[in-house]
Amino acid sequence: MQVSGASGVCLAMHEFSRRIAFEDVPTAGAFMVFGAHRDMFEVARNFAHFFAHESCGFCTPCRVGTSLVVRCMDKIAKGLGSQHEIREIFRIHRLLNVASHCGLGQAACNPVFDTLNKFRPAYERRLRSLDFEPAFDLDGALASARQMTGRDDPGAHFVGESQGFGVHP
Amino acid sequence: MKQPTFLLDGMPVPFEEGQTIMDAAMAADAFIPHLCHHPEFKPQGSCKLCTVKANGRHVSSCTMQARDGMEVENNTPDLNDKRRTLLQMLFVEGNHFCPSCEKSGNCMLQALAYELEMLSPHFDQFYPDRPVDASHPDVLLDFNRCILCELCVRASRDVDGKSVFALSGRGIGKHLIVNAESGRLADTDFSLLDRAAHVCPVGVILEKRKGFAVPIGQRLYDEKPIGQQMERLAARTAKVEV
Repeated sequence: MQVSGASGVCLAMHEFSRRIAFEDVPTAGAFMVFGAHRDMFEVARNFAHFFAHESCGFCTPCRVGTSLVVRCMDKIAKGLGSQHEIREIFRIHRLLNVASHCGLGQAACNPVFDTLNKFRPAYERRLRSLDFEPAFDLDGALASARQMTGRDDPGAHFVGESQGFGVHP
Repeated sequence: MKQPTFLLDGMPVPFEEGQTIMDAAMAADAFIPHLCHHPEFKPQGSCKLCTVKANGRHVSSCTMQARDGMEVENNTPDLNDKRRTLLQMLFVEGNHFCPSCEKSGNCMLQALAYELEMLSPHFDQFYPDRPVDASHPDVLLDFNRCILCELCVRASRDVDGKSVFALSGRGIGKHLIVNAESGRLADTDFSLLDRAAHVCPVGVILEKRKGFAVPIGQRLYDEKPIGQQMERLAARTAKVEV
């Protein structure tokens, strides 16, 4: 259950006894209820896109940060995600939370942060590896070269055994 | 009456009533990293590089008024780490190729990246498509390097009275535009004598036919890191701007 809109608090089933109150779960009056058949990762990804679209672009952290979160979420959705993306989201969340100019940026990562903490399996079952995975598909990038040379033998394919490409320091 | 002071990383900094943390720090020759701030113009607080922790809360030091007895954290590993991430965001958001840039060595973005030990852009590049505007006879606009600090916007509006520049769009699509129906600088009354022609902290607004007059290696931030130039940064006015 998402309380108080996209930037509010996301509650999991075991928290249903918590109170709607300023001191516990504050709300402006909005509620969203997601049934058990809903994929909470897709819910959070949708919220991430919403915030990137809503960002006015005035301050650096929110303007760039919300778009970086979208990239991380999209990469995970494509099945190319890894623990690296999860760590990135947490890092961007910490920055936006304190450095953004207004409440939109400060709260923009809340739905992703909450669902990551409470519905972690929805994320982890999508991760390809628990380490780093490049967003760039090396073999895919060779497709146009294969087409031009008319080759499709094993030597014209990149065998992605080594994971050392595109590693970010 | 005793002059009010606040503590900047434990160092007492005196200030006048109404001064911001940044103003007072500049006057005291204490360095707080910043990009969109300029002592000649009204502070804006959008780049967020100058974020400090004042009495435990994160604030932009260029817009936050100093208070007597305030405890301000500035040069801490945590804040510098956040600033480094902000710099990386600015680098990947635009197209910044320092080796081929006329402003290299005189660029505040580059100087701060060195100062804060940014070793890589870290994030994937956005590679935005931002065509250059070479229409003006004396000035080249390379939007690829824009960091949206709005200094040219403020200078053209508040000093030159021309409002040649503006920001348009929203979110990651936000970009600098020229206020002309054609969108071209040549169709405005912009001139090299404008204040706005000389405020860009990066390499967007460049004078034509004046490339590399000072060789790389002998430029502003080649001589001394930006962290040791607060006195010069505080003294930036129409006369001494580089």
